[in-house]
Amino acid sequence: MEKQLADLQQAALAAIAESNALSGLQDLKVQYLGKKGALTAFLRGMGGLAPEERPRIGQLVNDVRQVLEQAIAEKEAGLAKQALAHKLASERIDITLPGRKPELGHRHPITLTMDRIKRTFMRMGFEIAEGPEIENDYFNFEVLNLPKDHPARDMQDSFYFSDEFLLRTHTSPVQARMMQSQPPNTPIRMIAPGKVYRRDYDATHSPMFHQVEGLVVDKQISLGDLKGTLEAFLKEIFGSSVRVRLRPSFFPFTEPSAEVDVSCVICGGVGCRVCKQSGWLEILGSGMVHPRVLEMSGYDPELVSGFAFGMGVERIAMLYYGIDDLRLFFENDLRFIRQF
Amino acid sequence: MRASLKWLKDYVDITDEPAVLAEKLTRAGVPVEWIEELGTEIDKVVTGRVVAMQRHPEADRLWICTIEVGAADPLVIVTGAQNVSEGDVVPVATVGASLPGGKKIGQAKLRGVESFGMLCSATELAIDSKLLQPEQREGILLLPRDTEIGVDVRTVLGLDDTVFEFELTANRPDCFSMIGLAREIAALTGAQLKKPMLNVPETAAGDTKAEISIAIRDGQLCPRFAARLLKNVRIAPSPQWMQRYLNACGIRAINNVVDVTNFVMLEMGQPMHAYDYDLIEGKQIIVRPAAKGEVLTTLDDVKRNLHDDMIVIADASQAIGLGGVMGGLATEVTGETKTVLLEAAAFRGVNVRRTSRELGLRSEASGRFERGVDRTAILQALDRAAGLLAAMGAAEVCPGIADEYLDVSLPKQIRTSVAAINRRLGTALNGAQMAGILTPLGFHVDLANEHLVITTPSWRSDVTGTADISEEVARCYGFDNIPATMPVGPIKEGGQSEEADLIDKLRDQLTACGLDETISYSFIHASLFDKLGLAPDDARRAAIPVLNPITDEFELMRTTLAGSVLQTVAYNASRRNENIRVFEIGKTYFAEALPLKALPVETNQLCIAMTGARYDGAWNRERDEVDFYDLKGILESLLAALGMPSATFSATTSVNYLHPGKSALVQVDGRPLGVMGEIHPSVANAFDLEKKVYLAEIDLGVLLDGWVHRRQYKALPKYPGSLRDLAFLASADITAQEIEAVVRTAAGPLLRSVSLFDVYEGKQVPEGKRSMAFSLQFQADDRTLKDEEVDSSIAQIISALQASLKISLRS
Repeated sequence: MEKQLADLQQAALAAIAESNALSGLQDLKVQYLGKKGALTAFLRGMGGLAPEERPRIGQLVNDVRQVLEQAIAEKEAGLAKQALAHKLASERIDITLPGRKPELGHRHPITLTMDRIKRTFMRMGFEIAEGPEIENDYFNFEVLNLPKDHPARDMQDSFYFSDEFLLRTHTSPVQARMMQSQPPNTPIRMIAPGKVYRRDYDATHSPMFHQVEGLVVDKQISLGDLKGTLEAFLKEIFGSSVRVRLRPSFFPFTEPSAEVDVSCVICGGVGCRVCKQSGWLEILGSGMVHPRVLEMSGYDPELVSGFAFGMGVERIAMLYYGIDDLRLFFENDLRFIRQF
Repeated sequence: MRASLKWLKDYVDITDEPAVLAEKLTRAGVPVEWIEELGTEIDKVVTGRVVAMQRHPEADRLWICTIEVGAADPLVIVTGAQNVSEGDVVPVATVGASLPGGKKIGQAKLRGVESFGMLCSATELAIDSKLLQPEQREGILLLPRDTEIGVDVRTVLGLDDTVFEFELTANRPDCFSMIGLAREIAALTGAQLKKPMLNVPETAAGDTKAEISIAIRDGQLCPRFAARLLKNVRIAPSPQWMQRYLNACGIRAINNVVDVTNFVMLEMGQPMHAYDYDLIEGKQIIVRPAAKGEVLTTLDDVKRNLHDDMIVIADASQAIGLGGVMGGLATEVTGETKTVLLEAAAFRGVNVRRTSRELGLRSEASGRFERGVDRTAILQALDRAAGLLAAMGAAEVCPGIADEYLDVSLPKQIRTSVAAINRRLGTALNGAQMAGILTPLGFHVDLANEHLVITTPSWRSDVTGTADISEEVARCYGFDNIPATMPVGPIKEGGQSEEADLIDKLRDQLTACGLDETISYSFIHASLFDKLGLAPDDARRAAIPVLNPITDEFELMRTTLAGSVLQTVAYNASRRNENIRVFEIGKTYFAEALPLKALPVETNQLCIAMTGARYDGAWNRERDEVDFYDLKGILESLLAALGMPSATFSATTSVNYLHPGKSALVQVDGRPLGVMGEIHPSVANAFDLEKKVYLAEIDLGVLLDGWVHRRQYKALPKYPGSLRDLAFLASADITAQEIEAVVRTAAGPLLRSVSLFDVYEGKQVPEGKRSMAFSLQFQADDRTLKDEEVDSSIAQIISALQASLKISLRS
């Protein structure tokens, strides 16, 4: 009897091990453990045993049942795992095929650069001001200490509509408009971004380009403040490792005047083609607002002082993105714009 | 301005290397653009005298020359040059010599004769031909016969020098002179300025004042005019040292008189002119505005038509010079000249500038007059020139100076304080430090109790107040030494206008919609209006013309962005850039009246254009082309993002450049916001656009007015809604918008949204009709809707559609 039970267990385990489908396993379950299965038949056959033998054999049958149930459960789990693995393997896709991209547009590098400049100054408490592109002679020149026949007007060859009206040659008129729009001597921190126009058209000049003008007026504004502010700005734009230097220069609307250079952002200052081996790049013009300019816009140069600066957005964009041809900005070739 | 280092050293001791000096000057506001080391490529080229010449036995065109080169043995050199004769002194490149361009000279055999070097032409020595006499430009460079033999040719030709090219600013006319530059160098390096001694032996007979009369008609145009008379003039070449200095500064030597005027101009900054005194009619000089229609033949033998903005120098009968610009041919100094009238004057810069520009006669002299000369130094300039000519034996100087000085320049004083200068600069310098900077520059400084009384030198008319003095202090003290600080005072975060905010938002939204941003010129050409098919009386044709456009293409200020953006599309299409989806935000300019009497109206516009495939070509995307509804969808999304979902699109046929059946007027609260649609086929044709292009123009002013910045939250629905789909069969000429309006009105308050999800025309739909399927969402805030409530709403919709539009439910 025990021998038969042991044989049965062995045969059943062998069949379970050999089974490689869930359906086959189900059949084995029925065959051995079902109501009409082999183990049940054993239990039924226990009537012919001695009563003292019954508990022991009953126990043995139960042991076999447990062994077989566990074996079947393990096998089932194994087969299910196998089946899942097979299914997953069959569902494999070529993940190197390109994705379905939403079409995203691209910003023009000029407006991107303008935004960076704007954001940097706004954080320093500057207001953004705007003014008309078609200006009158008074705001574009006169009130900036550039009287008629001033030779410096030649530096900014203008597009005229009449003796009186012209396209602004710089964003500086916004300075004067700002000062005149409020009570005299009101403190100012502003920048004025926008399009400007000069009568120059070649590989390195565009008749239309973009400038950002800045003006700070308050009691006790000094050249040191100009230096500190522009240093902070340029380090924000080109990175904290750039060095900044001021060079004396001349603009009719500022005194003292300074050109501001940054250490070459291409070569780091050791000298290259872009910085003409000097290690420095001229990046903006600046200076302490000329007392006459304050006066002409109703501010009292004895009470307040200020500094002003102006920069070309194209130049900053070219240096920042490594663009080597100014003409690309206004050709609008999408192969160019889609790089930004 | 070019300046020779050797020449500068005549006025100031310079110990710095050229690069170091250039840096000091540049950092002090006297910018050196570049440094040119002359003659660095020339080596072992010496002066030699041709002592014997014989024809080469084997070649007609070759000469065998014997050349003395000083201490060494004479050299035998074979040359093909035909302009050399016995006794000539020439540059000799000896064996082992180097020439510009990297050429090396070795021993060579020419047709069997050994040659030990080469005779050099000016070109081989890389001498600028404009500095040479015409006869020196061809063949071997012949040097003066009294030139020392066996010396380095660089010394003889002044090529052992360094030249600084200055890029001077307009406010520093004083630096357009060797003495002015030397003064800056002296002040920056602590050296002494050494001005030349003025010594004029007035040995000729007569009296200048008696022999020439000077009259200035307008002291504004000519504040001062002075002259000296030089007699027994012997025109000849100027000395070699002077020629070398002039050459180094880029000026060709002509003759002693002309060279001296140029030399003094470069040395002192005062331009001069020499007249042949004997040719001056009536021995009179009259300075006056040119008469209308007056004609003058200038030194370059060109007849000039003058007008009253120009300053002329005239004699008793006619104009003999154009003040500050160019002399006249009639009184030119020539080889025959015996008596010279030497002029030094000041002319009004503005007139000189306009005249020289108008006639294309900009020169070293006119440039200096434009910036302004030092009127008080005019007599010194005359003395310097006369002294030099006398010293070189070129003339005898007649006693006295004829001097008309109508507008006398007086010394100026500036009162300021140490504190005011420190405040402007952010420095903490004391008065003595400031005086120590200003005094070497020629300022006279009185310092008492921290107050400064500063007398400005005559050559610094640019310095007029505290601001200018602070600049002098700052540039010499060094900008690097000024501490960097931040402005103090109440700070608030900066802001910008609402319109600027709107533009920022639009740029973000539009790029998110897949559009690329472009920027085109604000200028357009009038033909663009024709290409857009604008009517002859269209207001946009009244664009503001630029008086002096840079090219004809850019003659008008744009009144629409459509033309520019279509050009951008065409440009990209021609470069095979596919699937063009672009937007531009820019201004248009409208004048109230032309010609312009007031500032025009500038408004920001948005223009969008799309063409090509909806999606960039990809293996898993449909290949459909964009259509009207892609563009409309972008506008709808944009308007929704700006809180303006109530904007309406209505069909229009009135936009000239759009397809009359595929264009819409966009309105917000009844105000026109813009237009959109497909480009009219004939416009597409005019722009060479092969594919269909869709374009929208939106007025940002109107958009700004309608923009709802602040959204109001609505509670999320607490009860489930009910969704019903309805398909209608409608006459094809009934618009979706009309149907939707009826649906919304008829449905009552429970209807929350309507969306059109299918439109079908074709088989199974009768001719002239189309099927439209709407999805309707019903919802109540306070309860779960009962089917009967929705059913009754649906019934109302169906009957209303039937009644007003004769639309039936599709079975």
